[in-house]
Amino acid sequence: MINPHPGLPELEYIKPTSLEEASKFLAAHAGEARPFSGGTDCFVRLRDGVLKLNYLVDVKNLDGTKEISFDPKKGLTIGAAVTMNRVAVNPDVIKHYSNLVEAVNSVASYQLRNRATIIGNICNASPAGDTIGTCLALDGVLNIHGMSGSKQIPLNSFFIAPGKTVLQPGDIVVSITLPVPPQGFFGVYKKLGRNVISDLSIVGVTVLGYPSKETASGYKFRIALASVAPVPFVASKAEAVLAEKKITPDVIKEAAQAAMDSITPIDDVRGSARYRKYMVRNLTREALTEVWSKLGK
Amino acid sequence: MANEKMKENVSSLIGASMPRNDVYEKVTGTAIYTDDIQFGGKLLYARVKRSPYPHALIKKIDISKATALPGVKAVIVGADFPKKIGLYLKDKNILAIDRVRFIGEGVAAVAAISNEIAMKALELIDVEYEELEPVFDPEYGATKEAPLIHPKLGEYEVPNFIFPEPGTNIANHFKIKKGDVESAWGKCEYVVERKFKVPHIQHVPIEPHVAVAMQDEKGKIILWASSQSPFAQRALIAETLEISPTDLRVIAPYVGGGFGSKAGVTMEAIPVALATKCKGWPVKLLLTREEEFFTNFVRQGLVSHVKAGCDKNGRVLALKNTMYFDGGGSTEYGVNVTRAAGYSSSGPYDIENVQTDSICVYTNHPIGGAYRGFGMSELHTGLDQVMDELAEKAGLDKVDFLKLNGVKGGDTLDTGMTMHPNGLVQCIENVAKAINWKEVKTPSSLNKYRGKGIAIAWKAPAMPPNAGSSAWVELAEDGKITVGLGGQEIGQGTFTVMAQMAAAALGVPYEDVRIAGPVDTQYSPYEWQTVASRLTWSMGNAVRRAAADARKQILDLVAEAWKEKPEDLDIVNGIVVSYKSENETTLKNIGIYGIPKDNNEGWIGGPIIGRGSFMPTYVTNLDPETGQGPRSVVHYTVGCEGLDIEIDKSTGAITVLRAAASFDVGHAINPTLVKAQIEGGFVQGLSSAMFEEIKLKKGVMTNPSFMDYRIATTADTDFPFETPYVEVPQDDGPWGARGVGEHPMVPTIAALGNAIYDATKLRLIGPPYSGEKIYLALLDEGLVK
Repeated sequence: MINPHPGLPELEYIKPTSLEEASKFLAAHAGEARPFSGGTDCFVRLRDGVLKLNYLVDVKNLDGTKEISFDPKKGLTIGAAVTMNRVAVNPDVIKHYSNLVEAVNSVASYQLRNRATIIGNICNASPAGDTIGTCLALDGVLNIHGMSGSKQIPLNSFFIAPGKTVLQPGDIVVSITLPVPPQGFFGVYKKLGRNVISDLSIVGVTVLGYPSKETASGYKFRIALASVAPVPFVASKAEAVLAEKKITPDVIKEAAQAAMDSITPIDDVRGSARYRKYMVRNLTREALTEVWSKLGK
Repeated sequence: MANEKMKENVSSLIGASMPRNDVYEKVTGTAIYTDDIQFGGKLLYARVKRSPYPHALIKKIDISKATALPGVKAVIVGADFPKKIGLYLKDKNILAIDRVRFIGEGVAAVAAISNEIAMKALELIDVEYEELEPVFDPEYGATKEAPLIHPKLGEYEVPNFIFPEPGTNIANHFKIKKGDVESAWGKCEYVVERKFKVPHIQHVPIEPHVAVAMQDEKGKIILWASSQSPFAQRALIAETLEISPTDLRVIAPYVGGGFGSKAGVTMEAIPVALATKCKGWPVKLLLTREEEFFTNFVRQGLVSHVKAGCDKNGRVLALKNTMYFDGGGSTEYGVNVTRAAGYSSSGPYDIENVQTDSICVYTNHPIGGAYRGFGMSELHTGLDQVMDELAEKAGLDKVDFLKLNGVKGGDTLDTGMTMHPNGLVQCIENVAKAINWKEVKTPSSLNKYRGKGIAIAWKAPAMPPNAGSSAWVELAEDGKITVGLGGQEIGQGTFTVMAQMAAAALGVPYEDVRIAGPVDTQYSPYEWQTVASRLTWSMGNAVRRAAADARKQILDLVAEAWKEKPEDLDIVNGIVVSYKSENETTLKNIGIYGIPKDNNEGWIGGPIIGRGSFMPTYVTNLDPETGQGPRSVVHYTVGCEGLDIEIDKSTGAITVLRAAASFDVGHAINPTLVKAQIEGGFVQGLSSAMFEEIKLKKGVMTNPSFMDYRIATTADTDFPFETPYVEVPQDDGPWGARGVGEHPMVPTIAALGNAIYDATKLRLIGPPYSGEKIYLALLDEGLVK
């Protein structure tokens, strides 16, 4: 049945003054409280009744969550409350992480990106999250404030199921650190929506490649796929193909095929499983070809 | 004198792109829409309890707990208002009685002091249902085996041009038999036959439906509504409530988009019904976006079977068109959609033998209603794609084929009516030129297909034969004029065009004309509905006549004062001049106070008010079995559209490289508004062709939000688009004008379908032509691996 009258339920807005206070509150109200920053996912899901909460805990402005900084050794750290539009225009991001700009700008609309955040995109844990693939490919690490102080969790071990992560009650993701990208890297994000802008992904393909002495092919490729599995998906079999074999158009095809064969997407209102499988193959091939052409130069 | 120059100014008002007279308030956000009106602390909030079943009997409704909830002022159920309502076929109740026929149909409604209490009250209403077998397929629904959705169809009130078949689910069966189709197939060298499906789509105006109603102690009701049809709503709701129409006053502020969804009566009757149970309290019903999607009028789905044949020279000889419209749970408006598609079923093609069955079928889907160009996009989707294939089979260039077979003045139409002069051939040539039809089409890369498509279309105002318009024009002390009218400004620019017409017909500057708004049935003159692309033509005639009447009164008055003949006088740029005596006077004061006689001998004249009305009197009914009659419609607006596209072989996604649309508008009163209408209509057509579909699964709409009901954005329509229009005057149009509001979305699906075929040789069963649909079809055909 369709809910004809969705509406925001009654809930309390909590504005803590420190991370510690926020964590305490969240831990004391496990299951009925959630941190939020932009609210672009939370409010929609609350209105639809998908998310049921008694408290929303505003973590904007807490202890550096609004900061974005680049360190030539540590890499880029993006605070939880930094909006996507701020990320997209940051000179360090543009200079060192141009692929992140592309991913960010593929999310919804400019207006929405005025509020939406990358950390929110990650913590929402939707397999369709457009910025997650790039953060995965860049080996992002989440900086978390919890009841027992600070901890770090690599993004690739963060997701459990749609909407579910390893976060414990009281945990607040404060920022994400994206290490300095490998020398000579190039990355792209191919998003397929039903129309040109503002859609959710039918599939999203993130590819990042760079020269490497560790592999037989002399290159390493990272491939992350959106909307094809319960959680953001790393196509490791396809990555392996590209590590082991000399890169040629045929090997790229083989890798794209491996990506297609490794997924078991579902039919939903945005696309069929069959279409998704072919799109993963085709867009992975396109993305790999584009990245390879840049690396080859 | 400067008279000649002044005269030039006035006559140049027709055909001039005057700035919109509603632009300032709309751009600055000060324009008042229904939801902006403040009603104070007594305002009640209405909510509707809706059916979760597509087809079920209502066994019992218990409203006692809801009624007892503090803060609830009124709870109503269908049985409280037993009289049927409907624009054409009276088959609907304000709220369902005994039986629900689609998911989302209202079964009860509540008015409470807050939205939250109203929602709680809905939860307290217990409805007991007994589920019935539903009907979701119109072709099946039309068979004898299908369960009946309206067993009492035979008892419903219906006008004499709608033909329901009691004992079936067929709410209207419109037939055409022109010539002899069956024997004509033998003469055809080439025949094409195909099945098409057009899905349900939604209007998605940015302003959802909203209506506020209040009844005073004496029983008089005021309804404020976002409305295309204040007068039709007054008539229909009053009839259902068994009150006099003049005891119901409808006030219709600016409208944030209608596209047909705010014509007729949908949700507006509910707050009125509630208001009758709590006199003195204003009751507001504002639909949520979700309700907007699945509880209100939709564009009906269509399944059609189209067969056409031509001789070896490409001359079309025969057409057989069988259309099953998915009418939904009520077809009160939809029966006329079917009728319009029926009498226009040959499209703008001159065909000797035509056989049509246009069938409106009750289903357990949302209710079909008016939607910009209703029946026509659906009809043309199949028709123009079959013609495209026929042209190819006959070995004719498609442009030549369209010019050969396109309807011309003097041709006998499918209904027997004689076609009026029109510029269809010129429209076809305009589009062919704009998209470089003959140019060799090179794809921009090896990974793309490139194709061009073209389609022609027509549409007549779909309305009762005698839909009328009226207007008044009055002068004020400052010599400026006010135009009273009952047609609605729904974004199309009609207030601007009417001001231009009134200014030109009277002889005043455009800036000196104000429109008396908002439309208020208590003060505004009658207008049937703002639909059918009929206002420029019909209301324009009324306004022109009213302005001419006021002009005559002014000239008579001044002539008498000056002791001259009215024929020697003129009104130019707001100044009355005599070409004989070279006397002149402004319009200031004379339209209110008259003119003093010489030597203080008294006064002549008095307040001046012109009146005008217009109603077509010449449309005839058609024979129920053959659809033949002397005059089926008032006129047709014809036109052509074309697209040049690429299709990505990796994704199936379409990119439009450029497009063009050309329509014969009779006379463009305001060329910028004509262009805007054509651009907007084309974008809406393209959106329906590429993206839009109400996805129905067992009667449930699975995409009732903008997240999953995609519409075209500016990024999807960022391509060169030309709109060269043609002007072959309409004999009874003001300055020769006819409407073009709906037409630009009529041929778009077919034109895009033809472009897809040109690019890929794929002929898909129907829109939306999504990347997925195209890619999987390419895959299945072995065109991609």
